[in-house]
Parts: sequence; C-alpha cells; structure tokens
Amino acid sequence: MTAIEDLRGFLDALDREGQLVRVGEPVDCEPDLAAAANAAARLGDKAPALYFTLVNGFTNARIVLNAHGSWPNHAIAMGMDRDTPVREQIQEFTRRWDDHPVAPVHRGDPPFLENVQEGPDVDLFRVLPLFRVNEGDGGFFLDKASVISRDPDHWDDTGRQNVGIYRLQVKGPNKLGLQPGTIHDIAHHLRIGEERGEDVPVAIAVGNDPVVSIVASAPIAYDQSEYEMAGALRGSPVTLAKGPLTGLDVPWGTEVLLEGVIEGRVREFEGPFGEFTGHYSGGRAMAVIRIDRISYRDDPVFEHLHLGRAWTEIDYLMGPATCVPLYQQLKEDFPEVVAVNAMYTHGLVAIVSVRPRQGGFARAVGLRAMTSRHGLGYCKVVIVVDEDVDPFDLPQVMWALSTKVNPDEDMVHLSNMSILPLDPSSSPVGVSGKVVIDATAPVAPDVRGRHAHPVRDHPDTDRWLRWLRERTKER
Amino acid sequence: MICPRCGDEGAATVAVSPVPGVWEVVLCSICHYTWRTTEPPRQSVRESFPEEFRITPEDIRDAVELPPVPPLRDEPR
Repeated sequence: MTAIEDLRGFLDALDREGQLVRVGEPVDCEPDLAAAANAAARLGDKAPALYFTLVNGFTNARIVLNAHGSWPNHAIAMGMDRDTPVREQIQEFTRRWDDHPVAPVHRGDPPFLENVQEGPDVDLFRVLPLFRVNEGDGGFFLDKASVISRDPDHWDDTGRQNVGIYRLQVKGPNKLGLQPGTIHDIAHHLRIGEERGEDVPVAIAVGNDPVVSIVASAPIAYDQSEYEMAGALRGSPVTLAKGPLTGLDVPWGTEVLLEGVIEGRVREFEGPFGEFTGHYSGGRAMAVIRIDRISYRDDPVFEHLHLGRAWTEIDYLMGPATCVPLYQQLKEDFPEVVAVNAMYTHGLVAIVSVRPRQGGFARAVGLRAMTSRHGLGYCKVVIVVDEDVDPFDLPQVMWALSTKVNPDEDMVHLSNMSILPLDPSSSPVGVSGKVVIDATAPVAPDVRGRHAHPVRDHPDTDRWLRWLRERTKER
Repeated sequence: MICPRCGDEGAATVAVSPVPGVWEVVLCSICHYTWRTTEPPRQSVRESFPEEFRITPEDIRDAVELPPVPPLRDEPR
C-alpha cells in the first residue's frame, strides 16, 4: 500500500482511477459550485470528485469538491482498490486501526512556506476562493479544514493535541467564527484556556492528505493522537511540519495554513449553517478566531465540502470513521459484537450485530453503545441484530426488524438522554429520548416467540453465486 | 450598503473580484452576514431575503453562548 502524501497526490490518484471530473467551463461562485457538488451527491455512491479551475471573477482559483464523496473515493483515499465493497472497506479500516499508534515524522521546509501573509496583510479573501454552500448560510464557511489545538495545561503532550474538523464562518479578512461543540476536544482546550484567562493558539490546515481528513472527523479518544491514528490507517507515518507562528504540528503538505488564536472569553453571533443533520443550525454566540498569519503553497487548491440532506460527501467522510471507534469500544466490553454500522448522520442511528450470550444480552449491548464516548451525543436509535444479519445490508436489517421485533417487549426506551445540540428533534436542545430496538431472536432463558427454525440460505448458494458472478461478468 | 438579512445600513465591501468589476463581497458588521453582489436576490437584496433567515437585534442580543464562557480559575465559584 502506497500512502497518499497530500491533497495533490489524492487528486492524482482520483484522476488515475477515473474518479476526478475537471470542470474547465466557466462557472459562477454561486450557485454553481455548491449546486454541482450537491448534484454529485445525487449521482449515487460512485460519484467522482469535482475540480474547478475557471470560476468567474477569479484569476487563479482551484477548487475541489466531493473529494471523499463516494465509496470508490473513500477506498482510494485509504489506499484500497476502488471497487472494494463497503463492508470490506470498514473491515480493513478496523484492522488498520489496531496498528495504532504509528508515530509521525517531522520534516523541514514545508511547501506552504512558499507564500506568506502576516499581521495587517492577512486577507482570507485573497488566498481562498470562498463561496456560499447552502442558501440560508450566514456567510462563507470553511467546513473541511483540520483545526489543530493543544491542551493549555499540557502544552507539550502531543497525545492531547487535537485535530478536528469544525465549521468556521469567515467573518472578515482575518476573522473566523468557530463552533466548538461541548463534546468536542477543542471545546475542552478552549475551556481550559478561558479558565486561565488566555487566548488559545490554533492552526487551521486547508487541503490535506485524505486520511488526515478522515481521522479529523473520527470520534477518537481525548488522549489519542489523530496523527498517530492516521499513520496506522495509512500504513506509514504522517509527515508533519511545525506551524511557523504557533509551533503546532501541522500536515507537511497542507495547501493553506492559517494560524492565530481563539480569542479567550469572546463570543459572537454565528451562523446559521446547513449542517450534516440536513438542517440549518445557528443563531448562537460562538467563539471567534483571529488569524495572524497565512502560509500557502503556490497555486493553492481549496478543498471544500458540500453538505446537506443525506447522503452527501460528509457522510462518506465520517461514516466509516464513526463505525470503527464505536465497534472498538463495544468490543472491549463485549467480544460478541460482530460489526457496527453507525454511518447514519454520524451515528444518530446505529446498527450493531452480536452473538447473544444469554437472554437480555442484545439490549445490554445497545445500552452500552449509548454510554460509549461517541454514543453519549449520538446513538439515538440503536438496532441490535443477530450475527447472521449484515448491518451494512439494510434489506437484511429490515427483515430482522420485520420478523424478530415484538414492539411490546423489544424496545428499551430511555428519556432525557444527552444528544448533540444539532439534532433538530432534541427538546430541550441537547436532550432527547433514545431507544434500543432488540431485533435479535431471543435466546435462553428468554423463550419468547417462535424463532427456532429460520430458513437459511442453501448450502450450495456460495458456489452458485461465484458461478453466476463469473457468468454475468462475461456479458 | 443595506444588509439583506438584518437591514442594517452599514454593511461594507470586504473583497473585490481579482478580475476587476465582476463582483464584490459585502459584510455586515452587525449580524456578520456575508454575500457576493452577483448572488441571486434571495441572498443579496433585503426585499427578497427569505423571512425564515432574517435576523433581528433581539436575535443577536439573546443568542445563547456556545460553549458558555467559564469562570476564571482565580474567581470564586
């Protein structure tokens, strides 16, 4: 496996595999760019990335959208064959996860030092071809940049250095709004900085190695390093450079590096923004970032993301990266957990397959999913199925729901549970009911129902399936 | 310029197109709404701006802090 080193390497790989469409015709910033990415998401789960180079009003804009936005693209990002089935992509993702940690390597002379703006010369609008994503957005946002920060109480502990993707509203030439959700690591860094009465240094890397973006969107533990995890997932160390202003560790090949501070104890009206829930959120007073330095490569490529009603690029970016940590956390307590599909809106709905140990086991696993780190703010509906049901095959899951569930007894309903504030159904905001749906066949001592004699696939089905695949491939 | 979203009259240009004369980007200093002058009227003209996305001074004043600013460490709790 040869790992991709930066965004340009990713675009080359997508191009080689026929997964990059170059749009050479002139387009308008609005509505063309976001509408085209929206359309790519509607093209299906094999959609290509879009690369725009002729954007009206700009002389040298390079914009890539939908880079992670399909299963072939996700496979290419991970260095897998483009046709790898979804479940196999996640199995391989899980296998590599166990290789964590793979320590990063540091290298000098990063290409982002080719161009610099500092102090009063900083102007985001001159470096990035910014544009509106959804019509109700309160402005232009950065929504696919990796934001790097450290714990101010433990500045030298790089395990606590966080790399995450958060929405950033451009509010001026050197000013961004930041949404730090209370469950996010950056909110913890901000709280410590603000308790100390200090600003919090921050680096924002725009346009990266595709695995760094995947890990930045994954809910990994507070003291786990995203870079060490990215190294495991890539199968080789991530190459890092020091941010010239902040000293934070940043991807060596990043296209554009913004550095500055989250201004301590400052909040300002932000949003709204069309979120990954498929609904707008906003109207709250959020943190503010001041940018003091921009470093950028020659002819920088602006990597951006359209999101909205599912599925869009963000669901491919976050989906596998949500399944695997949840699976790993459940597996620690319950080796009987077979697979986890938490790809629906970052895991608001999760499907878990298990080998039930005894009566009541499946619902215990469902409840554990809700009390996992990620489940605290997600896992509103957890469906538990038997091991012979593939949680990634929704018709199989629907079969289990259809035939295994007796709603009188197989639903575990909990009230007043924690949920992410962006969930539009939460009431009050951040609080929701949750439900485990036990769609497994009861096992002793639970003797309900008549599940003892399921029809199974014919023993020779696999042989015939291979034969049919070969035969239909010849046509 | 008039902000399409909150109606404040102090919105100002923050960026002009690198190709001269194609568009400007305008920013409202009150509600921070940003728009490009070539955007459709629903995003760039007060009269056409959707009711559901309009902002009032009360919306800004009453916005809930996220996350809340914590007490300073040396402050009594």
